[in-house]
Amino acid sequence: MTGRLGWAALATAAAVIPFFTSNTYYLYVVISVGLLTIVTAGLNVLVGFTGQTSLGHAGLYAFGAYTAALCVTRAGTSEWIAIAVAVVITSMVGAAVAAAALRVSGPYLAMVTIAFGLIVEGVVIEWGSVTGGPGGIFNIPKPGLRTHYWTVMLAAALALWLTANLRRSAWGRACLAVKSSEVAAESLGLSAYYVRIAAFTVSAAFAGAAGALFTFLNGYISPDSFTLQTSILFLLALLFGGLGRIAGPVAGSVALTILPELLTRLLDYRLILYGSLLLLSIYWLPDGVVGAVSRARRSRPAPLELSLSPLGRGQGEGAGTLLVANGVNLSFGGVAALAGVALTVNRHHIHAVIGPNGAGKTSLLNVLSGFYALQAGTIMVDGRSIDGLSPYAIARHGIARTFQTAQVFGGLSVRDNVAVGVAGPRLGSPLSALFATPGGRARDAFIQSRALDLLEAFGLGELAHEPAESLAAGLRRKLEIARALATEPLLLMLDEPAAGLSPAEIAALDAQLTGLRDQGGPTVILVEHHMDLVMAVSDRITVLDYGRVIAEGAPEEIRQNPAVIEAYLGATT
Amino acid sequence: MYGLVALGYHITWATSRTMNFSQGHAVMVGAVVAYAVFVALGWPFPLALVVTLVALAGFGALVERVAVRPFFLRASPAWLLATIAVGIIAENVAQLTFGKDARAFPSPLMRKPIILGSAGFYPQELLVPVVGLLLMGLVQLFYHRTAYGKQLKAVAWNPEAAGLMGINIPRAVMASYALSALLAGVAGVLLAPLLNVSPQMGTIIGLKAFAVAIIGGLTSAPGIVLAGLGYGLVESFTAGYVSTRAREIVGFGLVILVLVVRPWGLLGEKPSRRV
Repeated sequence: MTGRLGWAALATAAAVIPFFTSNTYYLYVVISVGLLTIVTAGLNVLVGFTGQTSLGHAGLYAFGAYTAALCVTRAGTSEWIAIAVAVVITSMVGAAVAAAALRVSGPYLAMVTIAFGLIVEGVVIEWGSVTGGPGGIFNIPKPGLRTHYWTVMLAAALALWLTANLRRSAWGRACLAVKSSEVAAESLGLSAYYVRIAAFTVSAAFAGAAGALFTFLNGYISPDSFTLQTSILFLLALLFGGLGRIAGPVAGSVALTILPELLTRLLDYRLILYGSLLLLSIYWLPDGVVGAVSRARRSRPAPLELSLSPLGRGQGEGAGTLLVANGVNLSFGGVAALAGVALTVNRHHIHAVIGPNGAGKTSLLNVLSGFYALQAGTIMVDGRSIDGLSPYAIARHGIARTFQTAQVFGGLSVRDNVAVGVAGPRLGSPLSALFATPGGRARDAFIQSRALDLLEAFGLGELAHEPAESLAAGLRRKLEIARALATEPLLLMLDEPAAGLSPAEIAALDAQLTGLRDQGGPTVILVEHHMDLVMAVSDRITVLDYGRVIAEGAPEEIRQNPAVIEAYLGATT
Repeated sequence: MYGLVALGYHITWATSRTMNFSQGHAVMVGAVVAYAVFVALGWPFPLALVVTLVALAGFGALVERVAVRPFFLRASPAWLLATIAVGIIAENVAQLTFGKDARAFPSPLMRKPIILGSAGFYPQELLVPVVGLLLMGLVQLFYHRTAYGKQLKAVAWNPEAAGLMGINIPRAVMASYALSALLAGVAGVLLAPLLNVSPQMGTIIGLKAFAVAIIGGLTSAPGIVLAGLGYGLVESFTAGYVSTRAREIVGFGLVILVLVVRPWGLLGEKPSRRV
């Protein structure tokens, strides 16, 4: 509620300013704040939601500005068409840059974006016949300052509204999931690469729009406005305001536009000021001004009135085998982790994989789910080969998994964690997420209600709106299983789900697993050390030792098997 | 030459998986300090060199302490931006104390060009790659032959295990930053006579060196040396046949191209993901 009041106050302030002052200087400053807000709102989608850093957004900003300027001066279009063209072109450029840049991450990504920005700057200066060279483009027809004020304010409001919508949608959750744990996101069928490209493209569109509006502010543009320093300023404003917060861009833009204006006398010290501000905000305000001021507001539960056709798949046809793996080999630098492992798992079975530490159990799961590339052998699931597929593609074949150390998505609520699983790769159109179309909202309500149902079934309903990172270890495991089941998998692979659980929790897990099987749930591969649990729930057991299968059979047979006893207890008799 | 500065990125990356984005500013600081001590104060060159190197090692340690250590464990762009911030501040401080204008740095090796056929060059230009390669060799020796170098490598490989073996990790990271800044300082002193000294000189050198480090592969010192040579050649060809401005466009275009084809650099290792 306080949040709404804050937004209303902000909107009112922006709306009344022109009536109180005729001083064009103030209007100019507020317009600059608006432009910076638009760029940083877009950057927030990329950096704040998705966790990728760009130091080249000045290049995209330049693309928007020059496209708009050329449309008006050369093609003689109207301002509005010029802005639209600028947004479209910049988005396309952004998508292309992203496709190349996002194959890498960390400092490599920073380099690609820096390089992009410098290339744009260089081309703009060099290609004088089109861009006017170092002097830039003059005499661009521009609207009156007051008119432009309204345009920019509305655009900034639109930008914030769009990012708020995006944050609440399946796309927003997917972005945060990828940022928090790429591995877990891929295990739910999300392609991290694809999600990041989408985020980069959205942020490019915002930068393009702001660039175009910048063109019509001054009536001239020159390369000086689009340097690496500009890119750093964008990032600084976002960081200072609050990464990942919807209001962050506003706070950061206001601070970074107005501060230098107040301190014009200290021009010589401006860089020191910027640098210190940047350092201080990273030190003490990891969530920015907005994060420091506001307690995280809890999101309201979504309305549950709609039901769409189910998103899920069935459990495939009938009985028989679901997974057949043969001759699976995996070695790390000459050390064989898996040597010719064969595994056949029947439908609707709980199939345990056990073995001493280092036997290759987790490696086997990682191969089956695509996180380690298969070096030799074949894997068929539901009659289809999954050799060489990436983790998200395998997940889309209906294979879900959990991890030895539970990988919940921090930064998302418990419900949103499960919602990422429910949606899986079905994110819908990014545009419908941005504009919160009725169809998009209906989808989302459906996804959320599904997520809540699952949480109820797992006894996590009460915690639905808690941040996932606040859960204790046992609950994290539960949440992870719920999230994996949310994808409606054919095969669920659990990596030591009982590790660190209390005896009571293990009993509950036992009941849950058998319950799942009896209700015709997914086939389960269970990697586990707790022999009581394994013996109680498993239909079949495969025993690994030193990367080889040493026994396979029903629990009773395994218990008696001399090779297994030897592997566990050492050569005794 | 770029290779020398780029190696600085490799050194810190190899120990700590972080790097000083203001490596170029370290070059600038090196040149400015050398100018202050050698030209302004008129101290003899060897003494000036020692002072510069000590100052630079201190600068590197400072960067580590202020901008990297607080964020070492946070997986975020924090250290990246923090080191940029330190660079910005360093540039501004240099501007205030040194002035904005570029100043010439005298060198006995810049007086008479050597004429070879139609091309002429100064001995100083020859000195840069020679000293550069020599230092790179020394760094390699340090890493592979000395106990301390091996410790630094151990930290890179597995910080927890290295810590358990009694290696002081924060100090190791700080040492790598000091070493990396030291190399940048040498580059600064070598370049000062060629480029003139100015507070703004750092940015573009740093960026190009970073490009070289990325092309070569951050994890591979030989890759970086090769990339440094290749980058220099491509640059002078473009500058010679097209234009000076095109030099940068082509150079950075090359970076993107290399990364699209080989995302981890020419000789870098692809990081394996841990599940």
